[in-house]
Formats: sequence, C-alpha cells, structure tokens
Amino acid sequence: MRAPEPDNAALEILLARCARQDSAAIEELYQQVAPILLALLMGMLRTRDLAEDALQDVFVRVWRQAGQYDAHRGRTMAWLVSIARNRAIDMQRANRNWVTLESVPEPAAPAGREESTLTRNALERCLQLLSGDQRQCLVLAYQQGLSQDHIATTIGCPLGTVKSWVRRALVSLRQCLES
Amino acid sequence: MNYLRPQLLEQLAGAYALGTLRGPARARFGRLCQHNSAASAAVQRWEDRLIYLLPVVAPVAPSPQVWARIAQRIQSRPVDSKRGTGWWRWMAAGALALSLVVGISIRLLNPPLQTVAALGDDRSHPLWSVARSGDSGSLTIRALQDVRGNAQRAYELWALPRDGKPPVSLGLLPRTGSIERTLSTTQRLALLASSKVAVSLEPPGGSPSGQPTGPILYVADVGRTG
Repeated sequence: MRAPEPDNAALEILLARCARQDSAAIEELYQQVAPILLALLMGMLRTRDLAEDALQDVFVRVWRQAGQYDAHRGRTMAWLVSIARNRAIDMQRANRNWVTLESVPEPAAPAGREESTLTRNALERCLQLLSGDQRQCLVLAYQQGLSQDHIATTIGCPLGTVKSWVRRALVSLRQCLES
Repeated sequence: MNYLRPQLLEQLAGAYALGTLRGPARARFGRLCQHNSAASAAVQRWEDRLIYLLPVVAPVAPSPQVWARIAQRIQSRPVDSKRGTGWWRWMAAGALALSLVVGISIRLLNPPLQTVAALGDDRSHPLWSVARSGDSGSLTIRALQDVRGNAQRAYELWALPRDGKPPVSLGLLPRTGSIERTLSTTQRLALLASSKVAVSLEPPGGSPSGQPTGPILYVADVGRTG
C-alpha cells in the first residue's frame, strides 16, 4: 500500500521557507517526507541504523542547501530523492549489499504524481524497449544502489557485460525519451 | 578548464544519477557539478528521468530520536553566538527550539522614548514592528504584512532577559492590523531587563505551559539608544 505523495507545490513552499531559515518549515518537511525517504534508504542501506543515520544527513543537507533548489524544476521529490540516494551511495561499503534476485521489486507506478500522463507513459514505453537484462541492471542500480561490480556478482555475469548493458540502457532511454 | 564533450557529459551524468559512477570518478564529477551548470543540468535531467524507477515503498516512520538529532545539528550553528550557551541549552531542553538571530537595528522614534523591534527574516520586509511606550507599560505591535503561514498555530512574542532567566511571554502577535497591549508588571520588568525578543510558533491561543513549546522562528534586538 502506498502513501499519497506530498504535493509538489506544498513542498516547494516549504523549501522556500527553509531557505529563509524558517525552522518550522524543515520540521513540516520532515513530517511529510522523512518516512518515504527512510523507506528508500533502507532499500539501499539494508539496516535501519544506517538508513536513519543517512536520513539525518539528508535533512541537515536539505536545510543548508534549500536555497539551491531550483523551483522551476517542478520536482521537489526528485531533488530530495537524489540527495537521499547520493548519501546512501556515499555511505555504502564494499560487500554490504549483496541481494538475491527474488527480493528486487519491479518498478511499479511512477513516483512523480505531478508529471503529465504523456511523459509517464513515455517512460514506461521506453523502459519496455530495453532488454530484460538492461532493465534489470537499471533497477538493481537505482533501487538497491548496487555498484556494477555487485550487480555482476548478483546476477552471475561478467562485469564487462553489466557495464555494457548499463551503458546501452542509458543511451537507449535517453534516445527514446527525446524522440 | 576541462571541456566535456556533450556525449561524454551525458554518459557521465547518466551514470552519476543512476549511481553506477563510483569512487574517485564520482567524486570528481560531483565537484564538477558544483561549478559547471551544463553538468549539473545534465544530472538533473537524468534524475528526473530515472525517478520513475523508484519502487512503490511503504513509508517507514523514523525513530523519534532522528528528528531530535537533526534539530540539534541544525541548531549547532547559530547565527548569534554572542548570546552565550546558557540560553541555548535552556531552550534545547524544551521542545525543539531552533533559533536564529536576525540582527535588526533599533530605531528611536520621536519622544517620548519609544523603541522599535522589527521581526522577520527579511530585513527590508519585516513581518511585525514592535513599539513600546517610554516606560514599557504598553506595547504596540503591528503586522506589516498579512502573516500567512500555519493557520493551526499562533505566533507568540517573548522577552528574553539578559541574565539568562526563562523567557517571559508578551502575548500573541497579530496576523493582521495592529494591537496595543498593556503589559503586566511582570511583563514590563522582563522587557526592561531584556535586550532581545523572540517569536515562537505555538498552538492556537499560545503556549499552554507559559514557556515556549514550539520552535523559535525569529529573534530580534530590542533596546534603546541614547
């Protein structure tokens, strides 16, 4: 069951207030967004302790960098998610994230509610154009935060093959979306 | 200056956003994004594309101490360090007090002696002005703009005594228009003994405990010149 996603306009207002050092705003932002980000961080860092450490770092960073968010992006969740993912990637240590294939969820509905139906369908269509291997590599990298090294070990393929799949997947995705 | 070919930039930006760019290369590219707008724009485009790979996740409520630690870390770089640690520690003992000093200067109005504090986070567009009569017997508080913000909360004004004693409430701030408030003896003496006032966010009707229970939003200098 999925919680309703916070409204983008409301999040933008909160970020603008954070940029003006409005401390009530960062607390409101935390209440709205922290549980979603924590779930994502636990997916990448596995243990709750690590994920909560990362969550702290994320919100301190959001507070300090709120003024850098470009409101014209219209994607506050994307910005917040990227801060969270980057933190998780930085925190990963080698050999920490072995994962079996069965536990990897397929990407379901898109995360961005504010996105137009046209674009959402475009991305789903473009993802379908990828081979199963390419799509799987993207999902493991993005959702689990696996390095290509770990992906290779997880699915039992050479590293070079994985790198090739990832590279082609990104190229294909971009070409498809830009067409 | 390094010039990245567009194709290479797209490749690196995509790998960075996906997370497959690692190690020193990731660190280098991250630094590049901080000063190269083409690079950061490319990463943003990739982030916006890839977010659709996010799985449907059930939200997980963080442990209570997570927010407490965030609040401490945000607070640990106060703009005003002159105030000393005593008051900070006292406020931190209550509910999350995040306080930032906005150094607003005092303007002396025409006699009889009046002092004014301007409250808000934007020097050129303060939210409230606070004036007191010469003997601090009454305050006139004027909302300079209609104060939007959280309709479920009230904004309460506090005098902050110089000797570090607990804040004393000077009542609620109006969201619009102006009010004149006669101060009690306690309030008057507290204000005379204070060089700063603060605004906290409280439940409707103000703090139930007589001390700030919500975050401190603004602090301003109050005093008199001459």
